[in-house]
Amino acid sequence: MSRPDGSTDRTPGREPLLSVSDLRTVFYTDKETIHAVDGISFDIYPGETVGLVGESGSGKSVTARSLLGLVDEPGVVEEGTLEFKGEDLLETGWAEYRGDLSIVFQDPSNALNPVYTVGNQIREALAIHQGLRGSAARERAIELLEAVGIPDAPRRVKEYPHQFSGGMQQRAVIAIALACDPDLLVCDEPTTALDVTIQAQILDLLDELQREEDLAILFISHDMGVIEETADRINVIYAGEIVERAPTERLLAAPEHPYTEALLNSIPGRTPPDQRLPTLDGEVPTPDGPAESCRFAPRCPVAVEECHETPPDAVAVGENGTDHSAACLLAGESEPEGEQ
Amino acid sequence: MSRLRYLGKRFLLSIPVVWLGASMTWFIIFMGPIDPASRLLSEGQLRNPAAYQAAETQLGLNQPPLQHYFDWMSSLLRFDLGQTWVLYEGSSVNALILDFLPRTLWLGLWSVLIAILIGVPLGFYAGMNSNTVADYVASLGGIVWRAMPNFWLAIILLAVLSTSPVLFGYRFEWETLFVSIDAISGSPDMTRIDTPDGFVAATKKVLPAALVLGSASMGNEMRIGRTAILEVRNEDYVDFAKAKGVSGRLLVWKHIFRNALIPLVPIITSEAFLLIGGSVLVETVFGINGIGQLFYQASVQGDLPLVGTLMYVFILMTVGINLLQDVLYTVIDPRVGLEGS
Amino acid sequence: MATTTPADNRRLLAPLQDDPKLAAWVAVGLFLFALQAGAVAHFLTGLVADLLGIFPTAEASNSVLGRLVGLFEVAQRRAAELPTLLSRDVVPNAGHWNGDRWVGTFMGFSPAVSWGIRVTLVYAYAFTWVVWAVLGYRYYREQYRVADWTPRDDIVDRFRSHGWGLFGATIVFLFVVMVVFAPTLGPTTVEQNMESSYDYETTYWNSETEEVETILTGEANLNSKSTGDQSRVMPMSYDDFGRFHPFGTLPNGRDLFTFIVAGSRISLVIGLLSVGLSAALAVTLAMTSAYYKGRVDLGTVLLSDAVMAMPQLLLLIMLITVLSDSWVGEIYSGGFVLALIFAFTGWTYMWRSIRGPALQISERTWIDAAQSFGQRPWTIMRKHMLPYITGYILVYGSMTLGGAIIAIAGLSYLGLGVAPPTPEWGRAIQLGQEYVNTGSWHISLIPGLLITLVVTGFNALGDGIRDAIDPQSDTGTGGAAGRGGGA
Repeated sequence: MSRPDGSTDRTPGREPLLSVSDLRTVFYTDKETIHAVDGISFDIYPGETVGLVGESGSGKSVTARSLLGLVDEPGVVEEGTLEFKGEDLLETGWAEYRGDLSIVFQDPSNALNPVYTVGNQIREALAIHQGLRGSAARERAIELLEAVGIPDAPRRVKEYPHQFSGGMQQRAVIAIALACDPDLLVCDEPTTALDVTIQAQILDLLDELQREEDLAILFISHDMGVIEETADRINVIYAGEIVERAPTERLLAAPEHPYTEALLNSIPGRTPPDQRLPTLDGEVPTPDGPAESCRFAPRCPVAVEECHETPPDAVAVGENGTDHSAACLLAGESEPEGEQ
Repeated sequence: MSRLRYLGKRFLLSIPVVWLGASMTWFIIFMGPIDPASRLLSEGQLRNPAAYQAAETQLGLNQPPLQHYFDWMSSLLRFDLGQTWVLYEGSSVNALILDFLPRTLWLGLWSVLIAILIGVPLGFYAGMNSNTVADYVASLGGIVWRAMPNFWLAIILLAVLSTSPVLFGYRFEWETLFVSIDAISGSPDMTRIDTPDGFVAATKKVLPAALVLGSASMGNEMRIGRTAILEVRNEDYVDFAKAKGVSGRLLVWKHIFRNALIPLVPIITSEAFLLIGGSVLVETVFGINGIGQLFYQASVQGDLPLVGTLMYVFILMTVGINLLQDVLYTVIDPRVGLEGS
Repeated sequence: MATTTPADNRRLLAPLQDDPKLAAWVAVGLFLFALQAGAVAHFLTGLVADLLGIFPTAEASNSVLGRLVGLFEVAQRRAAELPTLLSRDVVPNAGHWNGDRWVGTFMGFSPAVSWGIRVTLVYAYAFTWVVWAVLGYRYYREQYRVADWTPRDDIVDRFRSHGWGLFGATIVFLFVVMVVFAPTLGPTTVEQNMESSYDYETTYWNSETEEVETILTGEANLNSKSTGDQSRVMPMSYDDFGRFHPFGTLPNGRDLFTFIVAGSRISLVIGLLSVGLSAALAVTLAMTSAYYKGRVDLGTVLLSDAVMAMPQLLLLIMLITVLSDSWVGEIYSGGFVLALIFAFTGWTYMWRSIRGPALQISERTWIDAAQSFGQRPWTIMRKHMLPYITGYILVYGSMTLGGAIIAIAGLSYLGLGVAPPTPEWGRAIQLGQEYVNTGSWHISLIPGLLITLVVTGFNALGDGIRDAIDPQSDTGTGGAAGRGGGA
């Protein structure tokens, strides 16, 4: 399969579970047209964890919603293909694949319907995807709550979401997602709304579940530290475009895009203790038209004049066939390491 | 159960509300610039000191104010409401209220029902189809409907109904439609309400008035219903339910409508108590002998003790509706009672 | 601060010399004002005389107050002689046909056209003021304000692109101009047409005798009644005496348009007064209860619940009955006491609506900080809480105003509140009630439609301001907004 940017992260002999190609999601408001997701492509293979990292406002959540067909008005998925198990979801619709593709939202208190018990909401999914009803569903719901580490599950199953703490709510959300028996779980900042200690527990839980259920996970976060722990491969997103992609170790060791480097520098452990954490000034621009230059150029510490004139294409920079590409004019030319 | 405790707390809090309201009423009526005793007497009687003193004694106004206050409050508490002075002179207030109240309740019931049955579905429809022509028409209609004065709407509606054969052709005549009623306006016959015929007749009689009285609520419920749907539709849990595979009617009814009802509960009940006030005007225009008109007549004709007593009845009704709202709340929203006061 | 030195004066005037644009702007403003200076002076002196006249002792002409009243009444008469552009004398519409042309009307046009010209002039004049103010604000924003952006700019910009809010603002503008220029807009005046119609004469062309005759205005009214199918004077038509009636006549032959225009004044004055008073009460209580919380808050909740437990319209009826015979009941035809009662019964709804925001603000750290500096509670409330809730007051105020207008009309429909002969919209509806399904349907219909329009306008304005202040807030306002206790 060839892509506009010519990249491929396909490993021969394996079929991707989900193959996203040139996805474009546009929001039409009265005042402007926002290209929130502007031509994104990536693959997810069964059982692996793919990371999607970027600052807030870079288009991560819109990507997640686009994958699940949950883009609300005035947003429209305009172009691209979402090949899931060989079928383009944008053509067939999601109806048949609901549940195979599940999601965990950032804020669990919003993801649970406040007027139904947690058990009710799990059983709803069980009825749809596993045909379980009555006492069988009730037992399975308790099992699922136990599986996600909720103590005293037989009692908890009858409680309402607001009676759960934040971490417990997120576990319940995961239990509901599991009740759908998914192949791919999209986790949209699943730990951002939680305390740090709870974050680690949720990450461990996801890790454990992935091994047990052979789940593929798309893990979305603004936190490079979390991503590097969970993901096998990482996509870095900036202003609706993927600016760099690579296997995790490779990306950590040899980032090619200055933005990736900035993100990596923001991980506390990577900077010597006596130095201040480097920060990136400014905010992600809102892409309200086709790119006419590198969108990162205004904030880029190493931008040259050309960066402000031509939008960069993604170029393969991997050595000996490693799947590593970066959308930077300077990629592969100079060594970004050692810059300021 | 915390919900029961919540309801208990609300009930306890309503006691001082009733007490304060009744006390204020007492103060306005008996301590105001008008002497209630003198208002009860005719011009001729006013010149007769004996008649005046008799009236004062019967109202208990010859006692010290504090004593009078306690007497008045305790008689209200025991529902010993005394008798009337000017209006229906000498009849027992209890009997009068029992006679007039059912008609107002009947009117109120239908206006609440009409508002809910028309306003909420229209609002939900507009919310589900936001930014379509139907939405704009419904929204604008609701806003304008809400801005129309009840009494004016009542007059126009009466005129339209009384000329209905001319306006809509001779097939449609409101008076003989379904069941014949003696006149378009007037009081509903509450004695035969247990028979099917009597029920329809009594309903038809108050329906135009109920439509007018419920107009403001209808507009409001539509508006709130619409925004509630718009908000709930954008909630993560609706998207999550969609992602789970819940679709079609189940998604709409279980996950959207149920949640959109929550903000409507206080609107419906607070509107219900606005109806009590509005009943005065609508009952006057439609000539319904209800408690609202009784109140108005008592005020105009100077039967101030009756005004005070009726106000007490209204306070009880309002507080009752508020308690009903709390009960509805706990049924519909499990979070109530746990978020603190 | 209190004394201005010459240096201060120079500093104030300096921009005028340096900036010709600003000078031109100020000159235009002064010119616009000069056109109507007479009317303003007339209004102000009359207002003072009326205010002083409220006090009981002012009746006696030898008391100090009585003399003051007399003084201001003289001043008012003097002010009436100052030339004003938009007066009935400059563009008169009361004239008669003398057989071959109109006499006494503006440039010999027909009364209808003359009246139309006057109305157009009034609105053009008011519109010019608006343009002047907008230009001034823009210029100030560009040239004089130190900050090139303030949060208020966003609010203004959001409001400017809010079609529904602009619609409301337009309706409110039309209504307010009607209120301000009420005496000028009517084809005749309340004094001549209603209050003392037998002291004035109407000259008209008698088509039977083919001569110009005069008749007492009161007599003319008797022959211009709108009472059903046969005898009626419909909107935009002349009666038998050559008088033009834009909205037709009332059942008693008086001019409906004049009645409505004069009634708009009392509606808005009572409405503004009552909303202002209840807003003041509500804000004070909201800030105090949010600041002290606990028992103070609980007490206020109970108090407002108790007031709300009495249906507002019924409470209004009860209080009006009790207060109508007292001396406050007579001020401004009973309008003043109405406003007071509205404030007393209406603050609860507004308080309910701003209590939430006030409580939120009182939780902010800057309140704690101010407390720790030892600032006094009242200062904290005024400086650190008030600015954050003024927006909400505007929103709810605008919506309550609509409700007040409805409620005032409802009460005067019942014959309570504003005492006859002072015009009030509700009374026009009541007067026309029995003719609605006859040929004289206009009497009830027109005031009702106007109330609906004006109330919709105020509600729309409130919606617009709310969306401009807080684009996130989408939930409807409290149940009572925009309604007057179910009237």
